[in-house]
Amino acid sequence: MSHFLDRLTFFKRTVDTFSDGHGIVTSEDRRWEDGYRKRWQHDKIVRSTHGANCTGSCSWKIYVKGGIVTWETQQTDYPRTRPDLPNHEPRGCSRGASYSWYLYSGNRVKYPLVRSRLMKLWREARAIRTPVAAWASIVEDPNKRDAYTKKRGCGGFVRATWDEVTEIIAAANAYTTKTYGPDRVIGFSPIPAMSMVSYAAGARYLSLLGGVCMSFYDWYCDLPPSSPQTWGEQTDVPESADWYNSGFLILWGSNVPQTRTPDAHFYTEARYRGAKSVVICPDYSEASKFADLWISVKQGTDAALAMAMGHVILREFHIDRQATYFADYVRQYTDMPMLVRLVKGANGKLVPDRLVRACDFTGQLGESNNAEWKTVAYDERSDAVVAPNGSAGFRWGEKGKWNLEEKESSGRETRLRLTLADVEDEMADVGFPYFGNIEHDHFTGTDHQSVLVRKVPAKKVKLADGEALVATVYDLFVANYGLDRGFGGDNVAKSYDQDEPYTPAWAEKITGVPRDQIITVAREFALNAEKTNGRSMVIIGAAMNHWFHCDMNYRGVINMLVMCGCVGQSGGGWSHYVGQEKLRPQSGWTPLAFGLDWNRPPRQQNSTSFFYAHTDQWRYETLDIKEILSPTAPVGPWDGAIIDYNVRAERMGWLPSAPQLETNPLTIAAKAAAKGQEPKDYVVASLKSGNMKLSCDDPDKPVNWPRNMFVWRSNLLGSSGKGHEYFLKHLLGTSHGVLGKDLGEDGRQKPLEVAWHDEAPEGKLDLLVTLDFRMSTTCVYSDIVLPTATWYEKNDLNTSDMHPFIHPLTAAVDPLWESRSDWEIYKAIAKKFSEIAPEVLGVEKDVVLTPIMHDTAGEIAQALDVKDWKKGEVEAIPGKTMPQVTVVERDYPNLYKRFTSLGPLMQKLGNGGKGMSWNTEHEVEFLKHLNGVVTEDGPTKGLARIDTDIDATEVILSLAPETNGEVAVKAWQSLGGFTGREHAHLAVPKEDEKIRFRDVVAQPRKIISSPIWSGLESDKVCYNASYTNVHELIPWRTLTGRQQLYQDHLWMRAFGEALCVYRPPIDTKAVKPVIDRKPNGNKTVVLNFITPHQKWGIHSTYTDNLLMLTLSRGGPIVWISEVDARKGGIVDNDWIEAFNSNGALVARAVVSQRVKEGMCMMYHAQEKIVNVPGSEQTGQRGGIHNSVTRAVLKPTHMIGGYVQQAYGFNYYGTIGTNRDEFVAIRKMANVDWLDRPISDQPAQTKPSMEAAE
Amino acid sequence: MTRTFKALSALLSYPTAELVAATGAISEAIDAGGLVPDRILDQLHALIAELATTDLYDAQERYVLLFDRTRSLSLHLFEHVHGESRDRGQAMIDLKAQYEAAGLEISASELPDFLPLFLEYLAVRPLGEAGEALGQAVHILAALAERLRKRKSAYESVFCALVAIAAAKPKDDDIAAVLAEADPDPTDLAALDAAWEDEPVTFGPGANACKDGLIARMRAARRPAATPEA
Repeated sequence: MSHFLDRLTFFKRTVDTFSDGHGIVTSEDRRWEDGYRKRWQHDKIVRSTHGANCTGSCSWKIYVKGGIVTWETQQTDYPRTRPDLPNHEPRGCSRGASYSWYLYSGNRVKYPLVRSRLMKLWREARAIRTPVAAWASIVEDPNKRDAYTKKRGCGGFVRATWDEVTEIIAAANAYTTKTYGPDRVIGFSPIPAMSMVSYAAGARYLSLLGGVCMSFYDWYCDLPPSSPQTWGEQTDVPESADWYNSGFLILWGSNVPQTRTPDAHFYTEARYRGAKSVVICPDYSEASKFADLWISVKQGTDAALAMAMGHVILREFHIDRQATYFADYVRQYTDMPMLVRLVKGANGKLVPDRLVRACDFTGQLGESNNAEWKTVAYDERSDAVVAPNGSAGFRWGEKGKWNLEEKESSGRETRLRLTLADVEDEMADVGFPYFGNIEHDHFTGTDHQSVLVRKVPAKKVKLADGEALVATVYDLFVANYGLDRGFGGDNVAKSYDQDEPYTPAWAEKITGVPRDQIITVAREFALNAEKTNGRSMVIIGAAMNHWFHCDMNYRGVINMLVMCGCVGQSGGGWSHYVGQEKLRPQSGWTPLAFGLDWNRPPRQQNSTSFFYAHTDQWRYETLDIKEILSPTAPVGPWDGAIIDYNVRAERMGWLPSAPQLETNPLTIAAKAAAKGQEPKDYVVASLKSGNMKLSCDDPDKPVNWPRNMFVWRSNLLGSSGKGHEYFLKHLLGTSHGVLGKDLGEDGRQKPLEVAWHDEAPEGKLDLLVTLDFRMSTTCVYSDIVLPTATWYEKNDLNTSDMHPFIHPLTAAVDPLWESRSDWEIYKAIAKKFSEIAPEVLGVEKDVVLTPIMHDTAGEIAQALDVKDWKKGEVEAIPGKTMPQVTVVERDYPNLYKRFTSLGPLMQKLGNGGKGMSWNTEHEVEFLKHLNGVVTEDGPTKGLARIDTDIDATEVILSLAPETNGEVAVKAWQSLGGFTGREHAHLAVPKEDEKIRFRDVVAQPRKIISSPIWSGLESDKVCYNASYTNVHELIPWRTLTGRQQLYQDHLWMRAFGEALCVYRPPIDTKAVKPVIDRKPNGNKTVVLNFITPHQKWGIHSTYTDNLLMLTLSRGGPIVWISEVDARKGGIVDNDWIEAFNSNGALVARAVVSQRVKEGMCMMYHAQEKIVNVPGSEQTGQRGGIHNSVTRAVLKPTHMIGGYVQQAYGFNYYGTIGTNRDEFVAIRKMANVDWLDRPISDQPAQTKPSMEAAE
Repeated sequence: MTRTFKALSALLSYPTAELVAATGAISEAIDAGGLVPDRILDQLHALIAELATTDLYDAQERYVLLFDRTRSLSLHLFEHVHGESRDRGQAMIDLKAQYEAAGLEISASELPDFLPLFLEYLAVRPLGEAGEALGQAVHILAALAERLRKRKSAYESVFCALVAIAAAKPKDDDIAAVLAEADPDPTDLAALDAAWEDEPVTFGPGANACKDGLIARMRAARRPAATPEA
């Protein structure tokens, strides 16, 4: 019988078991599995990154579920690199992995906050007055003003609505602009690259207002002035992938695994590939573990070490044997063949003077254009002095000869002599300064003479003003290293064991590094470079740059790289990775950020000089100019204090000023008109007659105070503010911990150029506004705190020097609570400002002073000497001998409309960067279609919109050559006009590539090669700085057009840094005056105070995060050596206090073998708001690492109007060094948490309650 | 609606002129509700009176200092349960789902674990269920009450009231666990030193458990949340 109908055709029965009973079928409830399934469920993944100042720019996946960010993981979809090169991914670190916590943290700023006393005053005044009048009634009444300014840092915030808070800010800005001038409204925000639209938001508002944007790179002391000095470029470095191409890697004061965490894998991979690695740093750092050889150098003596290595390299690769590659390299790419005049100095000895110029010769060597700016060399082929192509004189005023072809300007081929040793007329006795004999309590010196006379081959040449003795830079350079070349004379060494500067034996004394280590490293470094055509690299860190004489540390290293032909070669060169985060689409971003589409020029200020003046740190200056002046300084008074040099630099147009003039700049044009003069002529005449004064002459006079300050994307007071206690005392006017006395109280010499007030101002700012997502130390001290969107709540762009990708920040969720993106916040302030401005402001004429700018035709200002118009030495000529004067029209009632549209100057004047310019009409038209046009009536109707943060990103991306191939081609063509060479081939293959915001959200995109930068992005090479200089023969943007190793400006010679020398750290004299103050029964030890970057935070970000606190010790710590701990009777984990004249800080001691005797390390930026008790010295809450520091400026950083030493924003200027500082360290007897209401405190202590919470 | 919860929610909100104007109504609602035991009522009225009479700016300043700026007094419940743990996100999602199941959508710009918001939710639930739900957070409420008592803050009364209304009574162990996590007594130096002390690390069997307070907090963050189940 058939079972056909019984059989199932379409189904089978569920069986209980299968696979021979190994499997079993069940049908119970499986909902329990949700427990783990749900854990990893999400609605969407959004790409974003962390805009901390870490140069990481890492791609992260942000997981969102039900509108809540649940966690983040590293993204792994970077474009593949070429074969044989490791991939970039994954990038990230433990800090970034804990970021999502910040969104929901108890420390998040959730609402706009206002100091309640101010709020009360405002509401009372506002009830009966208009906004600007209300603000006036508060700040013009000293009692009312004190009521809230003196309480800064003491808590007392209440919430406010956006409408109200923007009105207070706008009213303050309008009042200040009307009363004192817009340049009294200043804003500080660092590192545009980390979130460039957020930076641009504030900068655009300020620039349209006429306010001042403050620099950061120099202030953070991350700017190495040696880079502009040598290359005419702020900082340009190889990407981290290029480490892999290196054969010999020196990590010098850099701690890659700890501070460059996402890039560290390339370091590991380079070592797998066979690269050797040497790590040079005083402490046994994380990087030291990677080293084939760890060199523990005495902190602050790196220049001595580098000079000794240079001594070895010169001896073995240039003198005893000439490596051909090295000789060819230095002849074509450096100033070594250039001629320098030798003249009798103040002490009767010959010293190297300035570089000889074409103008020195009768007939100017046939150069009619800029002969003063064309350097000369001795040509072997023609046996004559020639002006080789490429010097600054060829860049401006003529076309086609600004290149590094081995030609002179007539087109004839040359072969320039490096040495005059075979053709010399005499062996001249030339004096070189020596500073290694300066006595210092904590640094070993030698007793060599202050002027070391050495033999240098010299030639007599006939100049227009008579016969002169000249030598090549090469011969001077070699003599400076103390090498015996058989010329006879003293102060030179044949053997490495002789004790002459700069032999390895000499360096052993100074640095504590055994001489054989120095010799071995130098030899292997150079040998590798010779064999590989320059694949030796130095990764250099902040540890080298934070010293007063950092330029010597850096130039010592740069010299090594240059003499081995490493700069501009794959796998070679100078890798300074400190806080810059290359803003790759820079020239697309500057119009947006500084409102160049509406007004030019913007006001920009170098922060170091500004804070030095306006936090009154100059009033406590201990460094006498004589202590840093060279024994070979040319004749001159060289008098005055450090601030005097800054003031001279400001009035000569070298450095910017803010505020600029005592007179309100909005009133000048009218006054000039009344006199029938052009504003420019009026300003010149008034300054000369003394009727008008520069603000820098009297920074303490109330009309010259900065009045309103914005801080955003920064923790100025909790992290970067050198001289923290001076900020509190003078700029903020609140309780502070300054322990030292000022020049007046001490009866010391006062400045010559700057007015002295016996009573120093306390509380210059009327209003301090901070935008942040967390309650940082800066927020705690602000009058108004605005809650900003986190990095997972806004749209923005982020780039880095560590990799070539452009990366987005994307809003994974909407801003929480009342927070808003920076773009929306400044837009709201702009809107409110436009509404209330008509009360006091309309369309105004603003007279703007700007310094002489680098990369403009004006950069060649005073060629041969320094002349000061105020002393009557020269005419006052704007843009030449004094600041440029420009009239800018401000339309205050329409500021908001201007803010939100792309202005007409982009079409009218075009766009550009670094001296190049190009037409941008096509891009502007394109943006009108992409973003839409303004349809509302008014002055902006028909212009491209910039309403949202994404609109803003599109402006950047469309205008920048790095993200728009069409613009890249135009930029390369522009450069070709200067060089007379064809460069556009570098971008033509990518002409149609246009990167949009949504593209980078989909996947990080590699930028397009552009002449704004000196490296290439291609399938053949990794990004390496100076690559196009070497391979495309584009000059460096220096006086000689070459890598400039001889710095011939008068001030460089006066301060002894024409050539690289070793200089011991300066003596800040900060410890002695206070060491015996308030004894507590415990011993003190005096230690050098070093502030490296930490592992558990990026500056102060993440340091208030419990995960990171748990991995560290959970609060402020200072590392000291076992020996010093024993001396001070300190054991691990003791509470200690570090103090000097500048202030005091408290921390736990970490006693470790890792640390070198004589120094202590406090990882910088541990927040005052976390686990900090009170100080025995000051009675205030602990202090931060910057409580014991004070900025000291260096005159050579103030030089301007001199090609590469011309001012540029974040490019050149004074820097905030702080590592020369010493502190007294003492175990605390009494740890007081000050956790009581203020009235309960002992009488002498009035600490800030806020910080305890 | 259980107006007592609504009233307590209002008391824990940022003081505004509107709140001050409503103090009378709040007072009446609490009295009428009869949920708050007498011993706490006086304290509660003292707080209400304070809010009604103190200068509004001072009241706001105090609120910002206590609840916005002091993490150990955060009104976001999961701050005390999960801290910065990743579990916090999921816990918030669960809580939000619970509100949605009850037909409520969050309209304020706040997180689901914000206590005044949670109390408003309880106000629209049956009293029994509300008491149960409150019971699951009772150890946090008790700990916050204790911290406020140390600060001599009148806000203590609101938390005492909530503890009293909760179905479950707080276990001393649970309170201790929360209290152990932060808010050290600033005058007890020995305890502070102990909390900060680093111990030698030992591995393997017999290794000492690390007594570091921070580690304890990390562990606490990994414990399952004592919040109402969905």
